[in-house]
Amino acid sequence: MSIVSPFLRMGSRSSGMAAWALLALLVPCSIYSVLYDSTFIWRLIGYALIGSMAETIYTLIVKRKRRLVCTGSAFTAALIAASVPTSMPFLPMLFSILIAVWIVKLPMVELPLRFNAAMAGRLFLMLMYPAQIVNWGTPTPDVISTATPQELYRSEGFPLEWSELLFGRIEEIWEDLFLLVPGSPGETFPLLLLILGGVLCWKRIITWRTPIAFLISFGVTTTLFGNNMLFNLCSSATIFSALFIVTDPVSTPMSKSGRMACGIIMGVSNALIREFTFYTEAIVYAVLIGNLCAPLLDRISFIAQGRRLNNRTLL
Amino acid sequence: MLRKITINWNKLADFRVLENPFPNPERIFSGLDDINPETFLDFLDDIGLVGMGGSGFRTSEKIKASIGAHTLVINGVECEPGITADQSVLLNDSLWVAAGANACAKAVGATKVILATKDGGISLDDLNKRYGEFSMERFAAKYPAGAEKLILKQLTGKTPPPGLRPYQWGYLIQNVVSLRAIGRAIIDGIPVMERPLTLTMPSIGFYKNAVIPVGLTIREVLEVYKISFDPSTHLIADSGLMMGHEVSLDDVIEKTTLSLFILKRDSAWHDERPCTRCGTCNTACPLGLHPYSLVERIKKDKVSSAAFKAQMTECFLCGVCSAVCPSDIPIVQTLKEGKKCL
Ligand code: SF4
Ligand code: SF4
Repeated sequence: MSIVSPFLRMGSRSSGMAAWALLALLVPCSIYSVLYDSTFIWRLIGYALIGSMAETIYTLIVKRKRRLVCTGSAFTAALIAASVPTSMPFLPMLFSILIAVWIVKLPMVELPLRFNAAMAGRLFLMLMYPAQIVNWGTPTPDVISTATPQELYRSEGFPLEWSELLFGRIEEIWEDLFLLVPGSPGETFPLLLLILGGVLCWKRIITWRTPIAFLISFGVTTTLFGNNMLFNLCSSATIFSALFIVTDPVSTPMSKSGRMACGIIMGVSNALIREFTFYTEAIVYAVLIGNLCAPLLDRISFIAQGRRLNNRTLL
Repeated sequence: MLRKITINWNKLADFRVLENPFPNPERIFSGLDDINPETFLDFLDDIGLVGMGGSGFRTSEKIKASIGAHTLVINGVECEPGITADQSVLLNDSLWVAAGANACAKAVGATKVILATKDGGISLDDLNKRYGEFSMERFAAKYPAGAEKLILKQLTGKTPPPGLRPYQWGYLIQNVVSLRAIGRAIIDGIPVMERPLTLTMPSIGFYKNAVIPVGLTIREVLEVYKISFDPSTHLIADSGLMMGHEVSLDDVIEKTTLSLFILKRDSAWHDERPCTRCGTCNTACPLGLHPYSLVERIKKDKVSSAAFKAQMTECFLCGVCSAVCPSDIPIVQTLKEGKKCL
């Protein structure tokens, strides 16, 4: 293959990007693992390996190529594992990883409409194993309830101090029930996630437009419904999704304005679903709705840019 | 495709020195004393002048179209990374450049001459000493900055519509090396037989600006400088790192050769991978176009929409989108094909 210009290459390479994201995902997960559940991190790595292997098998069979390290699928698998309760049994996890990698992620490469593979896997879990997916039983023995702060807030109106949510620790026993904020392992430390987000943006692994648009539009919409904005922002996966799920490049638009619009669609629909329905995990639906709009948004911004160019006048 | 080329950017070819390793060409015809539009155009064709900033467009046609322009811009905004030849010409051959500029201005009837240079290059003091009669305009030292469109944008404060030629707004933009060639022909009676270029081989620390005769093979040039290299580990890139292409030892120096870079082939080769729709190319495009959307449309042959035409005309193939693409997709090559669909 001949060498073509530009001879200068800048910025990150796509193969490294997923690895960086995976590393970032491992940070909150290993802290969770150290604090509450020492086996979790090993399970997470195991799931990531399964995801990677699934892609290796797929490329071997479909493309007849050998590819050993598949960080993209490993990241997808780890993302599923980190965003569902740790008590999720092995078999459903395996199914959802295989569905995500073999059906949603790999065959859809190069199609204009693509879905976030991890969210598809999670949707499968939610439909097939509805009991396990809300089993937020935290591993400390004195916890009996299985509700997240988000559910308690919705059903009984207990807002938790957002500052405590931010650090993932509760100073005293909250409502005589919890020692720590219950939730999925990856989602427990919003402050840490915010810092990681800054690092990833700085390394140019993720772009800031979609997550920022998502967070702002979500915050504004929840406030309009009279909810506590900071509580909602800090609780239940909002920052986690902004960092790892909403930023997924493959399923969000390419253009700058398209990204903003997509973030806003996701944020608003997330707030609407949280407010008006009884689904848990509103984010899954919100992200899939955003993905559905992505090709359209790209098209609109392409046409709009063309129009803007044509509207320029001679002096 | 190469992943990365290590170049010591602190050590560029010094623009204060412009070498002349080959003997001066002989005077062929008498110079030109009286400049009037008709004879000047014929004169430009006689000396065989084409746009020496890389376009290769016949200068006489450009000047003809620009007659009546109010401003002549001397384009010394050299933005291709690593090339300093234009600046060395500005500094060392100021006599010829100024003569060429005045001749052009007179031929088209321009009343104002602007010298466009980039920040961080030659100091304004040095320029004022040599070109005190012209007004100065500085441009940011980044790539791309020297495209006519971007120069117009800064000078007029308005973004020109796609496909606009500078003369439509009353500007004539001429590259420094073209003006040097005009000046040399007028004063010394020597047609376009040589061009200044940057010759660089970073791996042995060789950085030079030199005036090289047009038509020499690259092999002959390298022999003069006693540079030898192994073609399996090195390649020759002509005309810049961003917009250039690979050439072989037996190719000749053209009038449009801006530079010769002898670069190490990187061991880390990367094939094109599927687009991850990361949007880096959109963010990087200096004109705010949507490079990969264009590529998709070219591949599917959906090239008739107004939006496509506008964006494709606007694109000037600077190659930034390819350079930043994390999946190593040769976007700009596809865009070059797309230009043909217009
Ligand atoms: S930079 Fe490359 S991978 Fe990213 S959207 Fe553009 S073409 Fe696709
Ligand atoms: S080559 Fe790419 S970056 Fe340059 S103007 Fe065209 S689309 Fe934009």
